[in-house]
Amino acid sequence: MSPESSGEPPRLGCRDLRVRVGGRELLAVDTLDVAAGQTLAVLGPNGAGKSTLLRALGMLGRYRRSGTVLLDGVPAEPATMRVAVAGVLQRPILRRGSVAENAAAGLSLRGVGRREALRRSEPWLDALGIAHLAHRDTRTLSGGEAQRTSIARALAVEPRVLLLDEPFAGLDATTRADLLADLRVVLDGLHAATLLVTHDPGEARALAEHTMLLIDGRIRQLGPTASVLDHPVDAPCARLLGFGLLPPELTGRGLLAARPEHCRAAPGEVAAPPDGLAVPGTLRRQVPLGGVTRVDVDLGAPGGSTGSGGQLMCVSSTPPNAPPGTRVTVTVAAAHLRRLDTDRTINSRLSSRIRRVGRARRTWASSGGMGVPQPVRQAGRTRPSPRPPHDLR
Amino acid sequence: MDVLLDGFAEALRLLLTGDEDTWTITALTLQVSLTASLLALLIGIPFGTAAALVRFPGRRVLLAVANTGMGLPPVVVGLFVTVLLWRSGPLGGLGLLYTPAAMVIAQAAIATPIVIALTAAALQQIDPEFLVQMQALGATRARALLALLDEARLPLLAVGMAAFGAVVSEVGAAQMVGGNLAGETRVLTTAAVLATSRGQFALAIAFGLVLLTLAFAVNLSITLAQQQRAPVR
Repeated sequence: MSPESSGEPPRLGCRDLRVRVGGRELLAVDTLDVAAGQTLAVLGPNGAGKSTLLRALGMLGRYRRSGTVLLDGVPAEPATMRVAVAGVLQRPILRRGSVAENAAAGLSLRGVGRREALRRSEPWLDALGIAHLAHRDTRTLSGGEAQRTSIARALAVEPRVLLLDEPFAGLDATTRADLLADLRVVLDGLHAATLLVTHDPGEARALAEHTMLLIDGRIRQLGPTASVLDHPVDAPCARLLGFGLLPPELTGRGLLAARPEHCRAAPGEVAAPPDGLAVPGTLRRQVPLGGVTRVDVDLGAPGGSTGSGGQLMCVSSTPPNAPPGTRVTVTVAAAHLRRLDTDRTINSRLSSRIRRVGRARRTWASSGGMGVPQPVRQAGRTRPSPRPPHDLR
Repeated sequence: MDVLLDGFAEALRLLLTGDEDTWTITALTLQVSLTASLLALLIGIPFGTAAALVRFPGRRVLLAVANTGMGLPPVVVGLFVTVLLWRSGPLGGLGLLYTPAAMVIAQAAIATPIVIALTAAALQQIDPEFLVQMQALGATRARALLALLDEARLPLLAVGMAAFGAVVSEVGAAQMVGGNLAGETRVLTTAAVLATSRGQFALAIAFGLVLLTLAFAVNLSITLAQQQRAPVR
C-alpha cells in the first residue's frame, strides 16, 4: 500500500541524505520512504553504503550527515528518532548476563523498570524460540541463539522503525532458514517500518515487499521485490543480482542479461529458440557442482570483429561435455532475457533539482503498484514512460 | 629466626592491644591511599575512556605516555611534587609540602597513568559497535557510555585494585613529600622503613603485616564486588 493512498505519511523517510567521510561521499539518497508495516530490503555489493544508509536513517553513530530524515513525514530529531528506532547489527552485541536480561535491555535503556522490562520482553523470547534459554548466560550461546536474542531485544521495544543490518550473516543454512521464517511471522505482526540490509536476494524475497539496489552509495533501482530481483534495469544491477551479461555486439538488440540457470551451452552451432537468443562462444571450463554443472563460456566468435564479449556462466544439468576450447552456442529462451539500459548514469544532484522544480516526485512507494521496476531517471528524461516488463516477447 | 618470630609476636600484640600509634598510622595510610586512588580514578577513567573511544590528535601519544607512566618510579614523582610544592616553588604558596594533601597529590600522580592505560585497554576489549548498538536500542549517548563502563566493570574494578595497590605500597614519594612526620604524615611504609633503619625489626615486621592485611582487606572487598555478578564459566 502506498503511503499516499492510505493518507498517512510514510513512517520512515529521507530527503537529500548525504554522508561524507574524509571528503568522500559514501551515501547520496535523494528520496526514500518506507511505510509503516512494510519492509524495504537494501541489497548491494560490499562497501556500497548499505550499513551507512541504515545508520544514517537511524541517526546512529557519528557519521557526518546532511539532509533530512523523516519520521511520520516530519523531520526527525536525534531524540525522537532514538525513541522510535530499534536495531539489530550484523554481530549480535549482547551484554553480560542472561538472555532474559539482554532481551529486556532495550526497554531498560528507554527507562522502563527492570521488572516491567523483563515482563514485557518475555513474549518476544517465545516468539523467537529462545524462551528455554532465558536464564542462560549470553556467553554460552551459539551464534544463532545470540542473534535471536539480539532480535528479541530489538522487537521487545516494539519499535516504530526496525533496522536490520544483515541479521543472518554468519549463520548456518538451517539456523538461517528457521530464523528467517520466525522473523517473517514476527514482522507481519509488527506495525513498524523495517529496513533490511542484506547480501542475499533470497532474504529480500522472504521478508521485504520492496527492494532497493544500492550501488556506490546511490539508489540504482527501487521497486517491488519480485520485480526488482527479476528485472534488473542496468548492468551493475544485473551483476549484483547474479545475472550474466550478453553484450549488444553479440545480441544485435542491445545489452541483455539472463540468469546462469537459464543459459544453455551446447557444442557447435545451435539455432536460437523462437524469439530467443543464440550467441557463439568458446568453452572455458566446466565444473560439476553436485547435480548441476557450471559451464563458463568466453563469449564472441573467434577472430570476429566484435572481439571478446566477456564471460558468461551457465548452470545446467545437461552440460555440453566437451573439452575446453570447444566452440559452443549459448541459447536463452525469450522469456528469460532481460533488456538493460546502457546509458544510465546516476546523478543525484540533477535528480534532486528535478524534484525541487516540482516535477512528479518519484518515490518507490508511490510507483510500486505497477509491478514494474522504476529506474532512477537521468536528467533530461524527467517524464518517465512506464516501461513494459523487460522480457522482450 | 628469633627476629621473625618476635616480629610476628610484636605485630599481634600491637594489633590486638590497639596500640594508638599503629592505629593512627594505619588510618592515615588508608585515608591517603584511598583518596589518592579515588582521585586517580576520577581523572584517569575519563581520559582512558576518551583514549579508547575518541580519535583526537595526540591520542596515541597520550596512551604511550600513560603506558610509560605505569612504570613511573615513585621517587621521581616525589621529586617533582616536592619541587612544585617547595616553599619557593611554583605552588609553594599553598604550604602543602609535608602534609597528607601533598602525599595524596603525589600518589594520585603515580596512579593516574596506570588508570588511564588500563581503562583504555579495558574498554578497547569491548566490541567497537557496542555504543552504536546501545544507541540503536534507544540509549542516549551518555546512557550508552554508562552501559559501556558497566559492561567493562570487571576490568575497571581491576583497574581500581591496581591503582590502590600501586599507591598503598609505595614509599619513595610518601617519604619525600610527606616527610614521615610522626602523627602527621607517617604511613605504614615510611614507618616500616624508619623502624628497619633503627634496627627495630619486630616493629617493622608488624607494620609490614598491617600493610599486607590492609591491602588484602581492600582488595578482597573489591574482588568480592567484582566476582559477585561474574558468572562462573
